[in-house]
Amino acid sequence: MRVPRSIPAALAGALLCSSFAAAPVGAADTGPIKIAVITDMSGVYAALAGQGAVDATKMAVEDFGGKVLGRPIVVDAVDHRNQGPEAATKAREEFDSGAELALDMTNSGTALAVAEVAKEKHKLAIVTGGATSAVTGANCNRYTYHYAYDTYALAHSTGSNITASGGKKWYGIVPNYAFGKSMLADFTDAVKAKGGEFVHEDTMPLGTTDFSSYMLAAKNAKPDVLGLLNAGADTVNSMKAAKQFGLDKQMKIAVGLLFLSDVDALPQVFEGSRITTSWYWNQDKAARAWADRWSKRNGGKRPTDIQASDYSATTQWLNAVKAVGSTDADKVQKYLDGRQFNDFYAHGGEWRARDHRVTHEMYVVDVLPQSQIKEPHAWFKVVQTIPPGRAFRPESQSVCKKDW
Amino acid sequence: MLRVVNFAHGAMFMLGAFATYYGAQLFHLPFFVALLVAPVVVGLFGVLLETTLLRRLYGLDPIYNLLLTFALVLVIEDLMRLIAGPLGSPYSTPDALGGATNLGFTFYPTYKLFVILVSLAVCAGAWFVVERTPVGARIRAATENPVLVRAFGIDTRRLVTATFGVGVGLAALAGVLAAPTTNVQPTMGDAVIIYTFAIVVIGGLGSIVGSIVAGFALGLLQTLGAVVFPPISTTLIFIVMVIVIVWRPAGLFGKPESAR
Amino acid sequence: MTRRQLLVLAVLAAIGLALPWFVYPVVAIDLICFGLFAVSLDLLFGYVGLLSFGQALFWGGGGYVAAILLARAHVDVALAILAGVLYAVVLAAVVGAIAVRRSGIYFAMITLGVAQIQYFSAFQLVDLTGGENGLPLGGRGRLFGLPLESDRGFYYLAFVLVALGVWFALRLTRSPFGSVLQAMRENEPRAIALGYRVDRYKLAVFTIAGGLAGFSGALYALGNRLAGLDMVDWHTSGKVVMMTVLGGVGTIVGPIVGAGLFESLDYFVSKTAIGQETNLVMGAIFALCVLLFRRGIVGELLAPRTKRAGPD
Repeated sequence: MRVPRSIPAALAGALLCSSFAAAPVGAADTGPIKIAVITDMSGVYAALAGQGAVDATKMAVEDFGGKVLGRPIVVDAVDHRNQGPEAATKAREEFDSGAELALDMTNSGTALAVAEVAKEKHKLAIVTGGATSAVTGANCNRYTYHYAYDTYALAHSTGSNITASGGKKWYGIVPNYAFGKSMLADFTDAVKAKGGEFVHEDTMPLGTTDFSSYMLAAKNAKPDVLGLLNAGADTVNSMKAAKQFGLDKQMKIAVGLLFLSDVDALPQVFEGSRITTSWYWNQDKAARAWADRWSKRNGGKRPTDIQASDYSATTQWLNAVKAVGSTDADKVQKYLDGRQFNDFYAHGGEWRARDHRVTHEMYVVDVLPQSQIKEPHAWFKVVQTIPPGRAFRPESQSVCKKDW
Repeated sequence: MLRVVNFAHGAMFMLGAFATYYGAQLFHLPFFVALLVAPVVVGLFGVLLETTLLRRLYGLDPIYNLLLTFALVLVIEDLMRLIAGPLGSPYSTPDALGGATNLGFTFYPTYKLFVILVSLAVCAGAWFVVERTPVGARIRAATENPVLVRAFGIDTRRLVTATFGVGVGLAALAGVLAAPTTNVQPTMGDAVIIYTFAIVVIGGLGSIVGSIVAGFALGLLQTLGAVVFPPISTTLIFIVMVIVIVWRPAGLFGKPESAR
Repeated sequence: MTRRQLLVLAVLAAIGLALPWFVYPVVAIDLICFGLFAVSLDLLFGYVGLLSFGQALFWGGGGYVAAILLARAHVDVALAILAGVLYAVVLAAVVGAIAVRRSGIYFAMITLGVAQIQYFSAFQLVDLTGGENGLPLGGRGRLFGLPLESDRGFYYLAFVLVALGVWFALRLTRSPFGSVLQAMRENEPRAIALGYRVDRYKLAVFTIAGGLAGFSGALYALGNRLAGLDMVDWHTSGKVVMMTVLGGVGTIVGPIVGAGLFESLDYFVSKTAIGQETNLVMGAIFALCVLLFRRGIVGELLAPRTKRAGPD
């Protein structure tokens, strides 16, 4: 190269050194207060969270009066497209441009990614949609709360319920990745605690579409319960296979993770399964009243528990901000830790200080067949309510290394 | 055989499945009719792609066709996602083929038996046409030495297009067969295409027998792997592929000159 | 180096220096990392004619190794990056030894196959890689004691390192080594007849390309403070191929432009209502490129009257 290299090099060097001393981007102390709803806007989780979650958050803001501490509240819809790195980058952008709260994070990878960013930026993140219990376990931090549900709660509610009602022998179909493994571990504990056991577990590789061999084996083993400890497309395929082999007539089917929106999409596939949810729109008057308002704004659909949780979390956070008189994450966190509350979503709610797990009632529900539903989207029938003390991982068993 | 590495093959598989689904939704097309109609419809779409797009790149390094078909996958999958939504579309097993059959030593889903029989029949048919009929001979000749074949007065372009169309149609047929058992979703071709490439490479490019044998053998191997040592089953096929390429570069049944 | 290439390079450098001031810094980091990644593929594809569909093997492998060492063993950043590069280089040498003897579809399939093996391994080894949840780094660690948390600061560090990588690639193509590559590309049998161990050259390029990919992958993981399965996914391999072809195969500087355009477009589309439909847009653009503008953007700019490096 004939261009003298010294000049660009010096320039680069100067810029380099000056950047290391970059001043921290301070949050504006005037101007609107921003909530960033970081969710899957157009992918596989868009129906269970997505636009509906953003709208639920906006509802909460409107109901709160649109302002707090004299400042207007703004809701940003951010699409993480189910990519951890993208969620992290966008969260950083949001926080740097004045967001005080990151909400939703449906998809465990994005939940963990944003939790890290929240810790780095000293801003709050409330995970509602993401499932992994690592958010309050190995990856816990001062600035992140896990609000709606987690894999432990799913396993222990569904597992305990079915075992206690006679399903002692379990046959597990487990996907061979992080989610599946943690589900199996949690389910095994829950089932054992009620006097049951897993007679067999089949781990299937990622992307298995043909479950016939597993279903045959399950049929021959004659268990009381078939545990489909999977999610998404795996659940669809395994449910299809289970029905093909008539297993739904022979035994109870427990599904690891399922949402109202999934049943809306594929009712025949999911009917007859038993699952756990954090909330159901038709579970009581208060729930229904809120659901009716949401439905009016969302074309007659019915909200999932995640969308409701976003509304609830937003309201709770705004209340805290108002009470503390500041959006400073440290102060709000201190205010929230240990606080108990109740609303249409969280019954017996508490912002657990030990690991930032927000505990509340969970519900075991059956998915009704189309012929039995009394109105559109009324898919669930609550068969048991699990109190918060039993639904979530006990504090004594928490692996969270609390550093606050 | 056509020296076209078609990444979009998996997308054709997906389109076959979706054609079945929409056929049922919009036209109340019964499954058995879909088995015939969907491959034809998708096959014609393949012909359209070939004549308008792929044909332009035949004179160049085949790598460009690979890149073009890769781009097509992205476009087709995303379009389907816009149309059908990212979640699956449900398609249930036709009643006539539901339930399980008693094979004496075990119960096996009737539908799966049907799929096995149809696959075997179609594969046998394809092998027969390519290896034992005059048309097949012409196709094989055209791929090995197109100039000479043209000198005989045979329209190689039409032959190539037709072969491509049939290939696409077969992929769509596989999609139709898959629809009742798998989640019909826009990305269902993704996993399939990678394994398909591996199978074709293992069997040997240009060899129908190779593809058939390798396909069935590897399907068997993967299932066995899933039972014996699950973590390895997804990678087994690639490990086999690497071994085969190193040991027998042309694939198990391939012709040696296609090795480079 | 031609005047035009120099000009493009100068423009890129200017843009690169100013980038984090008008684009979010982490996005800028992504951009330049992919730029170097694309350059590494260009060495392989543009100068040796081998299209690898599994470069995510090295990009992701290097990224994961660096991330794992940083997150789990808390080593110095320099060591982590070095380890990532070492992993990529060794892997490239091993895979290359098998792969370069083939060409065309066979070569592509080997790279793809091995990349898939790494993908599924990363997926299964949850304790090491975090599986599908990814591996958050918790911080960028320290480089010889200096903290790297500032995004802009890290960008400039990455910029310098990427620039070094690009400079290295450019020098390589202009060296006697590069001349042999050109000879091989123009007439391989003759090159063999002249006594050149063609396979050795191919292996060397494959290894170098792998090393550069691993280097940029490690920087990417550090930049994002996160290592995820997307780094080892075959879609990423496909993405870098598109960037390289779009920018201009065989130009070294072209792929940088391709990467920049691709990532920027991706970023802006993600903010629109059709957020997840980037594939549609990129696929359509790429299809047009392959059909009509095979020389790529910079290829077209550099090409006109001169007979230039690059396949066509």
